[in-house]
Amino acid sequence: MTRPLKPFDYFEPNTIEEAVQILDKYGTKAKVLAGGVDLVARMRLRQIRTEYVVSILNIPGLDYIQRDGAGLKFGALATIRSLELSPKVQKDYAMLYEAASQIASVQVKNMGTAVGNLCVATPASDIASALYALSAKLRIISPASEKIIPIENFFVGVNQTVLEPGEIVTEVIVPSPAPQTGGAFFKLVRTASDIAKVNVAVSLTVTDNTCREARIALGSVAPTVIRANRAEEALKGNTLEPKVVEKAAQLAAQEAKPITDLRSTVEYRSEMVRVLVRRAVEKALTRARA
Amino acid sequence: MAEQRVKFMVNGRSYEIPIEPHMTLVEVLRDKLDITGTKISCGAGECGACTVLIDGKAVLSCLTLAITAREKNILTIEGLAEGSDLHPIQKAFIDCGAIQCGFCTPGMILAAKALLDETPNPTHEEAKQGLAGNLCRCTGYVKITDAVLAAAEKMRKGGS
Repeated sequence: MTRPLKPFDYFEPNTIEEAVQILDKYGTKAKVLAGGVDLVARMRLRQIRTEYVVSILNIPGLDYIQRDGAGLKFGALATIRSLELSPKVQKDYAMLYEAASQIASVQVKNMGTAVGNLCVATPASDIASALYALSAKLRIISPASEKIIPIENFFVGVNQTVLEPGEIVTEVIVPSPAPQTGGAFFKLVRTASDIAKVNVAVSLTVTDNTCREARIALGSVAPTVIRANRAEEALKGNTLEPKVVEKAAQLAAQEAKPITDLRSTVEYRSEMVRVLVRRAVEKALTRARA
Repeated sequence: MAEQRVKFMVNGRSYEIPIEPHMTLVEVLRDKLDITGTKISCGAGECGACTVLIDGKAVLSCLTLAITAREKNILTIEGLAEGSDLHPIQKAFIDCGAIQCGFCTPGMILAAKALLDETPNPTHEEAKQGLAGNLCRCTGYVKITDAVLAAAEKMRKGGS
């Protein structure tokens, strides 16, 4: 059992402006609280020490999930469970639904936000892999500025992001998939509630039997989620016959840079990248043609 | 940080007590309010023993700062029975032999309640998914999922 939390100063701002000002003032000594599943657990485990906790839970209007012509947008307080249950996500962003629905437990998904999951910056993030393949962007607000960056520029390393003190992610923006685009998400886990040994998200655009666009994201096999660029190139411009798909899967396995840890080994993870990329490409292809 | 007086609604009853912001909900329930049905086991969000419902949603009270749950409707295992009449899920757990040591049971039953409120007629697979965040270390999950499905049937028929 973990220990009780150490005392901290607690803030409950009612606006984003107020929140980023507090975060700016206290810098690295302050942490943002949204769902708390990661923050509170790691504070109990003494992996995180913080003197100031800034809850954004009382900021109104951050839990939305919107779908319009341009795409899907969701706010910093949209829970993983709300994404999973959203008909908009289920209908048009199958791989995001697949990623969200397979995470841990109902309790964790009811509490945990998708943005919080990204900000934790675990290399095993299922949400991050799906959002890489979907070309998502993040809106980041600080006291002085507001910017939108591609999700691929967000992660720096294990538990590290580009966020500076005083910055928070307020929104995820996922463009509408191009016509004849299909996606799929697969992962391998020890038990349902554990984090992924390997996860794979694939998005393909296929017209006239030819692959026009391919995005392959791999999770849990490098310090951050990565794109399998060579595998993508092997698919683009080609008819996706089994030989082509297998070649891309092999390239993806070479691009993965996994480690051996308590969940799995380098060899097994690499081999599973090959298997899961093949399966995900096949499923994405079926969906792109549907 | 200084204590603050905070109002909690637990099982339909209102409590106003001083707490500090670093107290978790399960600590407030057990140590401040003496409502000890909710259990602390792993304390890290893995086991589900501390599951309670906040505004009808299953959450982990060991990872919830109590202050964030103020003035919300909190349901613990103590709030399920009506007087001496057990809730159908509680009855089904007893009838199916789904309890051994009992430590995981409050969390199991509340996770089951959240599931059945949302999905009154779950498949076996949905019942397993709904309880995936709750660990039992005594025996296994067969009788527990049996109990959830039996309770679901009873509740659909309006019986208790």
